[in-house]
Amino acid sequence: MQFFKTPNIDFLRYKIPAFALSGILILAGLANIIIGKGLNFGVDFSGGALIHLMFRDTIPVDQIRASLRDIDLGGSTIQEVDRSGKEYIIRTQLQSDLENEDAELEAHELMGIRIIETLRSPEEAENRARGLRDLNEIDEKSLVLLLESGFPEDAGRLARGIIAYRVKNHIIGDYGELTAAGTDPEAVDILRNTTYLGSLAVLSKETVGPQVGADLRRKALQATLWALVGMLAYIAVRFKLAYGVASVMTLGHDVLITLSIFSFTSREINLPVIAALLTIVGYSLNDTIVIFDRVRDNIKLMRRTPLESILNSSINQTLSRSIITSGTVLLTVVALYLFGGEVINDFAFVMIIGVISGTYSTIYQSCPIVYFWHKIFKTRQGFRK
Amino acid sequence: MKKGLKWKVILTVGVIALAVFLATPPKEKIRLGLDLRGGLHLVLQVVTDDALNIETDQEIARFQDLLTKKELPFGMITRTQPGELKVQDIDTDRLGQIRDLLDDDFRNWDYSVVGRTLTVSLKPQVKVQLRDMSVSQALETIRNRVDQFGVAEPTIQRQGLGGEGIIVELPGVDNPERVLDLIKTTALLEWKLVLAGPAADEESLLREYGGVVPDDAVVIRGDPRRRAEGYYLLSRVSTVTGKDLRNARRSVDEWNNPAVSFSLNADGARRFERTTGENIGKQLAIVLDGKVQSAPVINARISGEGIIQGTFTIEEAEDLSLVLRAGALPASINIAENRTIGPSLGADSVRRGLMASLVALLMVIIFMVVYYRQSGINAVVALVLNIILLAGALAYFKATLTLPGIAGIILVIGMAVDANVLIFERIREELTSGKSVPAAISLGFSRAFSAILDANVTTIIAAVFLFQFGTGPIKGYAVTLIIGITASMFTAVFVSHLIFDLTVTSKKNIKKMSI
Repeated sequence: MQFFKTPNIDFLRYKIPAFALSGILILAGLANIIIGKGLNFGVDFSGGALIHLMFRDTIPVDQIRASLRDIDLGGSTIQEVDRSGKEYIIRTQLQSDLENEDAELEAHELMGIRIIETLRSPEEAENRARGLRDLNEIDEKSLVLLLESGFPEDAGRLARGIIAYRVKNHIIGDYGELTAAGTDPEAVDILRNTTYLGSLAVLSKETVGPQVGADLRRKALQATLWALVGMLAYIAVRFKLAYGVASVMTLGHDVLITLSIFSFTSREINLPVIAALLTIVGYSLNDTIVIFDRVRDNIKLMRRTPLESILNSSINQTLSRSIITSGTVLLTVVALYLFGGEVINDFAFVMIIGVISGTYSTIYQSCPIVYFWHKIFKTRQGFRK
Repeated sequence: MKKGLKWKVILTVGVIALAVFLATPPKEKIRLGLDLRGGLHLVLQVVTDDALNIETDQEIARFQDLLTKKELPFGMITRTQPGELKVQDIDTDRLGQIRDLLDDDFRNWDYSVVGRTLTVSLKPQVKVQLRDMSVSQALETIRNRVDQFGVAEPTIQRQGLGGEGIIVELPGVDNPERVLDLIKTTALLEWKLVLAGPAADEESLLREYGGVVPDDAVVIRGDPRRRAEGYYLLSRVSTVTGKDLRNARRSVDEWNNPAVSFSLNADGARRFERTTGENIGKQLAIVLDGKVQSAPVINARISGEGIIQGTFTIEEAEDLSLVLRAGALPASINIAENRTIGPSLGADSVRRGLMASLVALLMVIIFMVVYYRQSGINAVVALVLNIILLAGALAYFKATLTLPGIAGIILVIGMAVDANVLIFERIREELTSGKSVPAAISLGFSRAFSAILDANVTTIIAAVFLFQFGTGPIKGYAVTLIIGITASMFTAVFVSHLIFDLTVTSKKNIKKMSI
């Protein structure tokens, strides 16, 4: 099948409105970044704590916020996962102005510990004081020790089974679940007497000190700039300088558009997001190169034709291919966005924007830039043989 | 079959067989990263100033001894900063003797005199050496502890934070808090005689000393976790320390509570015996990292063996004996970065990643087959081979698969068909312009190649820079992207061409192709 026959659209007619559209979007984004909300740097880059928790019972956001307010962290971001009422992600940045550098380095780690302790229910401390262990936290080795009294032979197997059940369900809600899952009732009885069920399980905890974050920011910026320089060099060698400059400007456009849209959403910039941005730097060139490649061919074939119409026909000839390949990548990224889960969601979001922006910018940015370059510098159209 | 085709088929089958062999069974051959298995990723900063301080304090003691021996008068000696001490009120008339003493016995130190104050500081290169040594020692100690605790495949290496950083990666740890404590504890153990205490506060503790801490004593608080509340006045000199230990292991005391029993080496045992023999009826405090754990009364002369009691849980006793066996850290440690991923979240990520990959793969397959019909099937074969090659390469390079790595694979699924689309569109164009089927196929491949190469090289350039900058998970992503794109060049260009040659071109006088 075929979506359309080779079209004949005068794309370059719309170069000025397209520049204006991109310009407005980027300027709005930059204004928002510089004057407005700014970019929301995540824990990776600005330091802080990110704690992913699963509660045993449903708990309203307000209650979590109130608990955090008690330890002066009322300003934390609290995100509910999957509307479960049980699973939350808490992000906090400590505005510390501590004198002592060592203290500051560990401040986030200590803050993370404090958050978890605050959110635990009060009876847990009593249970711990009575010498009971938290079954939602205990490691396999310790569990074996507890079960050995009643099951000297089977303790290892039982403990493994219980831990596997906990890994599958994140948290054990009550002892009945274990019996239902096929654990020996006697073993469950032993656990009733030696353990309690903690009110929350820590699925992941990330605390990053300020030094590490600053280091990473510098590296991310360097990597992105060097990647752009690499692109410029490669395209300049394979095509011509004009095409290299156009490619890199197009890429810059894609990165800025993505950042702009990002600044309007409340999403935060973390490591995967930077990885996605760099991928866009590499990938959005795909289209650009395919069109330039066609321009390279056509310039050899159509000696007498003005550059504008060569550019136009090249875009038209490669249009179906541009749409299809961007389409397949878009399909996969959308799958990732919908099914990939919480952790990878930001990455997928950036990729979606990037793929769309990349396809558009190839047609409406890179070709016009080449056109203007030739107009301004009066360079010859031809390529080295 | 033509000769040229024969070796191409052999090569293709060989490469694929090798990849399958390398990657089976995938569960064993492909290592999962921390974010998929669960575990700890720590960046620790060794406080190397501690090492300099310890060195300086030791030298102060030595210096005092020597000055006293030579009968040189001196006033207060204080440590002004790590690796620097100041001696006040020296006798400037006898400066020559002091200089000789410093030159002979303190070769690692520079000194200067201003007025009647002598400043002695460590030579810069010695400072660097000491700092460096303390990081290496800390690393060895941590490695020792982790090994004894029994973590499979730990990664422990020096990195970052201006040479003071240590990166620790422990996959598959099911109780991260416990391991963290184990790594972080300095484990400096000392036995000191109790002069007074415990008292509720410092004031009442020092009442009989006129409110001043005597020169040969220190005030140390009890460890609230061990229910040893209050303040103790202890002798400054330790009877024995952790360095004198020969062994330590978990045991039980007479009431069957968890405890740690220890044995001392010959030298330590002698000192321990003398002190306990001379001080029967007094208390001997056990101090761990500057907190009193317990202060049992000495009932009899104890030789080389003893027991440490406290309100330990079994694990605490186990861990304490472990760190005592592994030795103390030469400096304290700060946690600059801690990423702890629980095993349940990792399992979740794997499930979701697989789900997303399958959906992406299916959507791309359906699209290609509907749009390009039989040639679409060709592209799908190339795509599946691409994934097999990717798995094989990951296994061969012993790369770890991370969650961003899975995202990379999904992207590769989308990008790999890009080359096929380019080729197929070219073939369609050539067919429309009236070329014969075999000619269209070979022209399509040759004309699309330059675009495929250029487009893929740029993506690889970006991925290489990403690999340079990234930490663990991001590196994993860059690796899958680089390998996947490279593999797609082989499958889309070489294998697809071969499949066309075998199916379409071999038929005599072919008039139509399904594309």
